[in-house]
Amino acid sequence: MKSPLLTKDPYNIIITGVGGQGNVMASRVLANMLVRRGCKVTIGETFGMSQRGGSVMSHLRVSATTVWSPQIPKRGADLIVAIEPVEALRVLADYGNPAVKVLVNMRPIYPVGVITGESDYPEPEKIRRAVTALSAAACFLDATEEAINLGNPILGNIIMIGAVEGLGVLPVNREVFETVIREGMPASRIEANLRAFDIGAAAVAGNC
Amino acid sequence: MELGKVMQQVKERDAAPAEKGEGLGGQKELEEMVLKAGLCTGCGACVNICPYQASYRDKTVTLHSCDLTRGRCYDFCPRTPADLGALQRKLYDESDITPELGAMRGFFITRATDTAIRRQSQHGGTVTALITLALREGLIDAAVLAGEGEGLLPQAVTVSDPETAGRLGKSRFVVSPTVAEFNRAIRTECRQIGVVATPCQALALAKMRTQSVTATEGGIEKLQLVIGLFCGWALSWRDLSTVLKEKMDLASITGMDIPPSRYHTLEVYTRGETIRISLDEINLCVRESCHSCGDMTAEFSDLSVGSARLPEGWETARQWNQVIVRTERGLDLLELARRRGILEFKEVPGGNLEKLKAASLNKKRVAATRPSVGNGSGDSYRQAG
Amino acid sequence: MSIDNEHKEGAEVLFMGNEAIARGALEAGVRVAAGYPGTPSSEIIETLSRSAKEGSLYVEWSTNEKVAMEVAAAASFAGLRSMCVMKQNGVNVASDFLLHLTGSGTRGGMILVTCDDPGALSSVNEGESRHFARLMEIPLLEPADFQEAKEMTRWAFTLSEEIRNIVMVRSVTRMSHASGNVVLGPLPPAGGTAEFLCDGPISDPEQGPIISAPVAEKHRLQQDKVRKAVSLFEKSLFNTYTGPKKPELLVITSSACRLYTREAVSMLAAEDRVGILKLGTTWPIPPALVKRYLTATEKILIVEEVLPFLEDQVKILAAEQVRETGIKTFFGKNDGTLPTTGELNPDLVAEAIGRILGIEPKTIPAAYGEKLRMLAGLIPRREQTFCPGCPHRASYWAIREALQRDGRGGFVCGDIGCYAMACLFPAAGFYTCKTLHAMGSGIGLASGFGKLGSFGLEQPVIAVCGDSTFYHAAIPALINAIHQDANVIFIALDNSGTAMTGFQSHPGIDINAMGNASPMVDIAALCKAMGAPVVVEDPFALKETRETLNSLMEGGGGLKVLILKQSCALSPEKKGKKRYLMQVDELLCKGDACGCNRLCTRIFRCPGLLWDRNKGKAQIDEVICAGCGVCAGICPAEAIRCEEAPVS
Repeated sequence: MKSPLLTKDPYNIIITGVGGQGNVMASRVLANMLVRRGCKVTIGETFGMSQRGGSVMSHLRVSATTVWSPQIPKRGADLIVAIEPVEALRVLADYGNPAVKVLVNMRPIYPVGVITGESDYPEPEKIRRAVTALSAAACFLDATEEAINLGNPILGNIIMIGAVEGLGVLPVNREVFETVIREGMPASRIEANLRAFDIGAAAVAGNC
Repeated sequence: MELGKVMQQVKERDAAPAEKGEGLGGQKELEEMVLKAGLCTGCGACVNICPYQASYRDKTVTLHSCDLTRGRCYDFCPRTPADLGALQRKLYDESDITPELGAMRGFFITRATDTAIRRQSQHGGTVTALITLALREGLIDAAVLAGEGEGLLPQAVTVSDPETAGRLGKSRFVVSPTVAEFNRAIRTECRQIGVVATPCQALALAKMRTQSVTATEGGIEKLQLVIGLFCGWALSWRDLSTVLKEKMDLASITGMDIPPSRYHTLEVYTRGETIRISLDEINLCVRESCHSCGDMTAEFSDLSVGSARLPEGWETARQWNQVIVRTERGLDLLELARRRGILEFKEVPGGNLEKLKAASLNKKRVAATRPSVGNGSGDSYRQAG
Repeated sequence: MSIDNEHKEGAEVLFMGNEAIARGALEAGVRVAAGYPGTPSSEIIETLSRSAKEGSLYVEWSTNEKVAMEVAAAASFAGLRSMCVMKQNGVNVASDFLLHLTGSGTRGGMILVTCDDPGALSSVNEGESRHFARLMEIPLLEPADFQEAKEMTRWAFTLSEEIRNIVMVRSVTRMSHASGNVVLGPLPPAGGTAEFLCDGPISDPEQGPIISAPVAEKHRLQQDKVRKAVSLFEKSLFNTYTGPKKPELLVITSSACRLYTREAVSMLAAEDRVGILKLGTTWPIPPALVKRYLTATEKILIVEEVLPFLEDQVKILAAEQVRETGIKTFFGKNDGTLPTTGELNPDLVAEAIGRILGIEPKTIPAAYGEKLRMLAGLIPRREQTFCPGCPHRASYWAIREALQRDGRGGFVCGDIGCYAMACLFPAAGFYTCKTLHAMGSGIGLASGFGKLGSFGLEQPVIAVCGDSTFYHAAIPALINAIHQDANVIFIALDNSGTAMTGFQSHPGIDINAMGNASPMVDIAALCKAMGAPVVVEDPFALKETRETLNSLMEGGGGLKVLILKQSCALSPEKKGKKRYLMQVDELLCKGDACGCNRLCTRIFRCPGLLWDRNKGKAQIDEVICAGCGVCAGICPAEAIRCEEAPVS
């Protein structure tokens, strides 16, 4: 397998969301796509109790040559994929830097504290402003709404993966996505996943 | 102690907390000042108005914590600070108010004419006779009463049928969450409600009638009649059960009574025999909150009923009641009962009222000083019916 | 994902550390694998169970770690390769057997895989299993990347057979749950015959009975085995060195810490100043090898999680060899260079190395730092809580109300499982749970509390326990409570599976780890047989559950069992299926004007409920709501409506 082209080595991606949103699945699909393209990928993630409504982060290290630490150093993210908006801010607070690119699904999942009125959830406009100010490029998607239109909110993850492809910063494409999902998914669901992927890719292409 | 001095003490006790901020509080204050302080009467005034307080057994409990700073729970509670004098003046004709017994328009010795009622009730059956009359005459369409429950626990019930009401006249020595039931009843179809209430329950109802916060809720105007019960104290269900369990099968108990104080006993009637238990043992079961209560005659009622004291002796006296009438409405009901022949009257023996006043004053004195163990609550003019 | 059929020798695939360990075991020809679920170890047995086949690989979820180790040992005694798998504290459970096993020795290659959780990411302790290797005198291996996780596991079986004793392989969360590229090796042919040869003399390790006595003799033999392992460790390719010949600073490290160290050195651009000695064989450390590198430098930093384990060994070695290696300066845990609690990461290691070498860490531009301030106060904390539709929320609601009604200050002794969240986040359990320790300790503690009545303890005592935990460690304590007539209400929170770790089977389920039908052990029947009165309720029936609990509290003394049975919201039969379509009737919800003070959202705290601040009313989040219907029972205005969902 020939060495893939990377804009930076290792290229550091953080996929973030809330337990139950399918973070782990999204990071695995993306990583498998990259492995198929000849990359060495290291994913660091925690699950278990953190799944239960807590913040969840997957760290992906993409390299042409070697395995890296499963934890990205602070301020070291190259791309942040946030399946939930305030999680984008949470990750930026620790891993943000002037060169980072950020993709945000704008559908909020309210923390219990917000539901109970103990804390406030920021206005979408505030989130957009903060993400834009703290990144080199930012793109905001309504992935969950699009996914509900496709028939299942969980497809929001796939829309986000499509968006990553649309950015054009990684050696992945629709073909390798299809190969990967065909391995782990019943045939009946492939079509919806491909459509979700395309929606994400189209939403970002040229906008970010 | 002199009357003036006691009344001054009582006044100070009731007025002092008011200066700290009467009527300002929510669950937090209720917890601190009443529930945790052992002052809760179990009346249920704070129950069925929100999901946070509930009645369980003979207690009021907090199910979950509420962080509102102002609440009806606090406003309605008979044990949160309130200026009782002002409350009295608001609800009663000032000229009727006596320092010892509250508002009084008349004092009577009565009993139900119907012997069946007397048999099924406590003492003279006056309360039962009046409540069934009020229902039958349409003065009220529902009565909130302490009914039969499981074991020694009474259950607060709303009845609209006079026959059923007639069967619920026995004294309860454990409190029932009557006001909780009233709170539930005002949200039903009932239009005119009568309540048979202990002094603390009557006070809660009086607070509801005068607190502005009720205005936003509606329903309190349905309260048409409060028949108060004389009360020396109530017993803690858990403590009483523990004492009685050692002496008898709780399921066999058919009734209880307390003869005048010189007997110093609680009589428990079971199928077959009467068991007498020394008040020394029973006094230990008295609810802590009762020691702080200075109201023996249910001063915030339309009329109050208690057991009678007669020169003929206890066996005769236990067939009669003493009645204090406090309002126009109370007087009308009693007069109606006389006209219909529902109640028979007996001349009030000389000195009876004075004795009652002395006993009432004694309770105020004890409450004002709050002794730690309540071993003397004056003569026991138990709640009667 | 299956790890055997789809992937051929030579293929390069993405494997989770746990999958790599499982694959290593398959490549070694493991025949029996047993374990008890526990994060971060569970995926090893899960993965193996997918490759299990009659006659070639037997996999089981055992009732607890000690039993798992015994089951695996039996296979070893019968000549097969076997493994047992557990999380760090599972080794404590198994340790009594392990102590005797290490004395008796093994036959077929047998390994113990333990997955530790530095930082307690998914645990209520950060206990270490490494120290057991020293305590039990058995070799310890620690993989430092995914490929190595596979290779090392495979080699551990060989080593075990060489020394005829169990070998320990230790992973950590950041290895087990991290993923990376792994190149696959060949799988051996299936087969292998089991026979336990036991008619020989007691001194015959091949054919005699297998026991740990005579102790002195067997103990001496065991130590010979360790010496043999050390001689193999000296040449092991799992111990590597990268860096200059004469480094300014030598870092000795192992496991995931090696990846952090390499990253840290790269962050500091100190590749030509720092040497990294990565040890894969960490007990006992190979003395000749380590001595060689100690000689090459003056300053040594030991990087490891959590307590000083390598550090102790290295320092002892350095002291013993001081004449040859010279006097050194050590950095590590004991001098405070690195913390002795929590997990490490590249930043912590970079900071430590930077301090020693006087390298300033790189900083972000000041302008960016300034912009970061706009995040202040913007990010709400995300508290963990029970899932929407979780039966535990309902159970604790009923328990709370029953305890409050009872009014005698009753409390709940918690146990290990999702329901432990009630201890970790008190609001999630409505402030009922007051103790949390080891598996089964809830009922053990309750048994003790339940005997304190004669000293004046009048508080009702409740113990909760999940179904899997029940079989694991609750039964002896339960028997104790019954026998001692302790005043306890034992509540089994039966959600039909090992929910916390991903629905592994357990004895209460009629399917085993290999997917075969399996006899069930019924909790209610078992409790009844032990003589305890048993009541079963559905926790979704809040009122009935509460009433039952109150009547149990009122009843006489002794131990009583209440089984609250309702499947986990994430269970395969429920996940993604709503029983009810929930809706808030806006006419009935009085919202801010109601006396309820937002009971549904503020107290009940189900993530499926929202409070619409603009309308001042409750609302259902239909994406999050699981449709369990429980919240309909708590609204005092009866504004939360449930309607049977159409069957899809």
